[in-house]
Amino acid sequence: MNTKNLKQIVLLLLGSVLFSTHAWGIIDIGEDIELEGVIKAQNIFRASGFHGGKLIQQRNTAQLDGKYYFLRENQAFGRFSAGPIEEATFTFSARGVYDSVYDLRDDVFNGASGGKSEYKLREAFIDFVAPPFTLRLGRQQIVWGETDNFRALDIINPLDLSWHWTRESWEDIRIPLWMARGIYDIGKIGPFDESFLEVVWVPADVRPNKITTDPGRPWAYTGAGLAERANSTIVDGEILNLNVDVRDLSPSNKLSNGQGGFRFKAIWSDIEFSFNYYYGFSSSTGSRVRSDLAEIIDDTYYSVIERVNPRTHTVGLTASFTEEKFTQSIFRLETTFTKGIPVSIASDAPLSVDPDRDQFDTAWQSVIALGIDRPTWIRALNNKSTFFISTQIFWRRFLDYNNFYLGTSAVIPARINNEVIPERFIRTNTNRRDRDEFVFTFSASTNYGAGGRWKPRVVLAFDPLSTGGYNKLTLEYLHSKHLVLKVDQYFYWRLNGQEQGPWNLGDLWGEAGNRRAETVLNFIFQF
Amino acid sequence: MKNSPFSHAKWARHFLSNTILASLMATLFVLSATTIAAEDQSYQALRDWIDNSRPGPQAIEAGRHLTEKDRVSVLESLIPHSAWKYYIFDGMDMEVATTGHYPAPDDWGKSVASDYALDEEGTLVGFTGGGFPFPIIEADDKLAAQKVIWNMLWRPGKGDYVMPMVTWLRSEGGKLDRVMEFTATNTTFAHGDHSLIPGYEEVKSKSVSEFRSPRDMAGFKNLSIEYIDHHKENSGWIYMPAQRKPRRSLASERTGEVNGKDSIREDSNGFGGKVYENDWTYLGKRKVLATINVRTNPEFGGPHQWVPHNARWEVRDAHVLLIQPKTKNHPYSGRIVFVDAETYWTHWMFAFDKKDDQLLRMNQHFLKYSEYYDIEPPEQAPFFKQDYSKSLGAQVFLHLGQTDIHAKKPHASLTHCYTNRREYTAARAKQVFSLRNMASGRR
Repeated sequence: MNTKNLKQIVLLLLGSVLFSTHAWGIIDIGEDIELEGVIKAQNIFRASGFHGGKLIQQRNTAQLDGKYYFLRENQAFGRFSAGPIEEATFTFSARGVYDSVYDLRDDVFNGASGGKSEYKLREAFIDFVAPPFTLRLGRQQIVWGETDNFRALDIINPLDLSWHWTRESWEDIRIPLWMARGIYDIGKIGPFDESFLEVVWVPADVRPNKITTDPGRPWAYTGAGLAERANSTIVDGEILNLNVDVRDLSPSNKLSNGQGGFRFKAIWSDIEFSFNYYYGFSSSTGSRVRSDLAEIIDDTYYSVIERVNPRTHTVGLTASFTEEKFTQSIFRLETTFTKGIPVSIASDAPLSVDPDRDQFDTAWQSVIALGIDRPTWIRALNNKSTFFISTQIFWRRFLDYNNFYLGTSAVIPARINNEVIPERFIRTNTNRRDRDEFVFTFSASTNYGAGGRWKPRVVLAFDPLSTGGYNKLTLEYLHSKHLVLKVDQYFYWRLNGQEQGPWNLGDLWGEAGNRRAETVLNFIFQF
Repeated sequence: MKNSPFSHAKWARHFLSNTILASLMATLFVLSATTIAAEDQSYQALRDWIDNSRPGPQAIEAGRHLTEKDRVSVLESLIPHSAWKYYIFDGMDMEVATTGHYPAPDDWGKSVASDYALDEEGTLVGFTGGGFPFPIIEADDKLAAQKVIWNMLWRPGKGDYVMPMVTWLRSEGGKLDRVMEFTATNTTFAHGDHSLIPGYEEVKSKSVSEFRSPRDMAGFKNLSIEYIDHHKENSGWIYMPAQRKPRRSLASERTGEVNGKDSIREDSNGFGGKVYENDWTYLGKRKVLATINVRTNPEFGGPHQWVPHNARWEVRDAHVLLIQPKTKNHPYSGRIVFVDAETYWTHWMFAFDKKDDQLLRMNQHFLKYSEYYDIEPPEQAPFFKQDYSKSLGAQVFLHLGQTDIHAKKPHASLTHCYTNRREYTAARAKQVFSLRNMASGRR
């Protein structure tokens, strides 16, 4: 986005806010158009210890959301009969981003500029309401499931993990897709109440999760070990240059690569449940090593890796139940069976495990997640409002597991005869995945002060197998109707051991050399 | 005794100065006593006011404007003691109208099923609406308090509305801390001998609300289902735009402040809790000033801009109820609620801190009778224009707002409701108040 465009957008937003007659919330333009938005400056300081923090992000975001009510009470544009369509709206969300850290610091990013700017129409969809049917057409986000920030049934939209991993509101990092979402309201049927059937179709928009592996980027995913590119490999005790030809075989955007699914949701005996099915592509990308194409020419090892996103079938069941008398808690359950999860296989796996010798396979995986929410009084800390406590435990299991499934790889210095070779780095992977993987999360939040404007929150995630975890401490201050200040502090840690877990917690980002303890300061102007 | 002009003069001065001093002291004493009395926000002070100050002043001529000068003669007799501190202030202006008669809808009470009763805890069993469950309240009835509250909970006009709202959260001195805009809509399912939607006979009402601003709350939705069976907790779901999905909410936690407001859910309309969780005492009837049929949404005045100012009031007969929570964990030792004796809408609620029996929270309500919507329509919402003629003929009260004061913060939440009558058809109600609508939101 050039400077002129940016200025125009800023002037438009400021003008809308300052000259609106009703500027504390949504801005009305006539009776049919509403605008709202946010301008945010996010500053992230990263420290490897308790001192020496450095700015790694200064991300400035301007987001404008709008809604146009073009059909009301069966009349389109106030004059045309729309038949059974009672209401229709057009909604959009556009976002411009500029990360000035690349200009402020040129000493650490090795010239990398990925993620420096972004200008996108993130969402644009039309809602039609023709009771008992509703239809949303366009670029949108759809979230299924009962758990928070976990990819079991929330798999329809991929995630952009390139600029701050999953440590952002997922609303902001989901990659919206062009799709159709229809919901047919059934209501009472047999023993079920409040039932509806939802159908989702993504005709031709396939995108994997967005991950950067450029070590120059602050939130590059380089695995365990060093934030370096592997530039070498050792073959028969001899060090060779490494040349990797990465071929992107991810599905293209064509109708034959359509994705879709449905869910039936209802209440049965006070238990809300849903049955889900989704036919899609894995948003996690797998790597197929074409050992048949590898060759050594002179002092260089030429390797070919194919990036693939296998077809997936996901069947899921969710349930939630409020127990009001004894525990005063809300219980949430989400369980899935997924076929097509990409996994890496160790190179020394027998033919029975890796008959293609491509160090790649797809697996069946089940997930069971249980969550409990409870508004809880801790009167010693707050005698006016409860703490909203939410805990979750996830159990992920490979149903067709074998011992050669690989976990996180690492880039390490190349060594020959125990001597480090300067400027030479190799990729290694000795980390075997477990059949069963667990993670536990906890969060507590409340509010204080006049109007509840001080909002602290504590988050904990912990992997009991790797003993890695992280904490996030947040304090949000709603200074005025427009200005919100927010500070987050992230700590990554591990209790003991060296085992690498699959969740990217303190076992990965709490280790020396890869430590990502961060302080995040947000200045938010909302309207 | 020798007459001495000097000594006479000296005596006169002495007398005069002593008299002035005594007068000043007396005035100061009276003023301070008045101030102390006004500042006394204990439970006992309100009970004394209820028990000892009756029957109150004679009728006030219509159109009279009450000011701070009428404090002793009128205001202190008609404003509950705990509210004096906020409602009686320099520059105040209360216009008092003739006490009106506000008939219920013509068909009110005609479709009430007969097979209902109170159980031993005072819980209404088997009632399905269509009228007041207890049209006659006897003061010596041991269950009079519960019967009044059941009439309040089934009053005409309780549901069937569209209600855009603005809430201002203010500190002392009128400092504005936060403004929220949201809209609620409600439909009554239980109409006595029939349900709005056949097959939904267990449902009393359903409501949906959605925040519009500020941005950090915009799009937040809430769906609530209230059941005929009082023992069954409401079913609830919230939709949070940041999560893009609904999640269930808990109904049985009713004592915490939500969204920074100065009230708790149990304070809703004076009493929004469970009858069987409380002990009940009927304290008789009392005349009180009430904003029962205001011209429009009242402006806020007083030193903190917390209370209605330049509004129209009436002197109303109110049933006075003492409600004491049975549980030891409740923040209140008790609450005293003033419920209109004709319409069964709540006018005043005072809740006292369990720790010291001092006022903790209070609320006071602004109402408007639907049949005045044509001659003096209320204010339109700043973000949503409505056809107020749709309210005409309903013969119900519509809630135009309230003030909620937290006496110990101290802080207040002031709400204007721009309420319009809306009776949903069965087909439309089925669509609007469904879980399906919680699957997505404005974003």
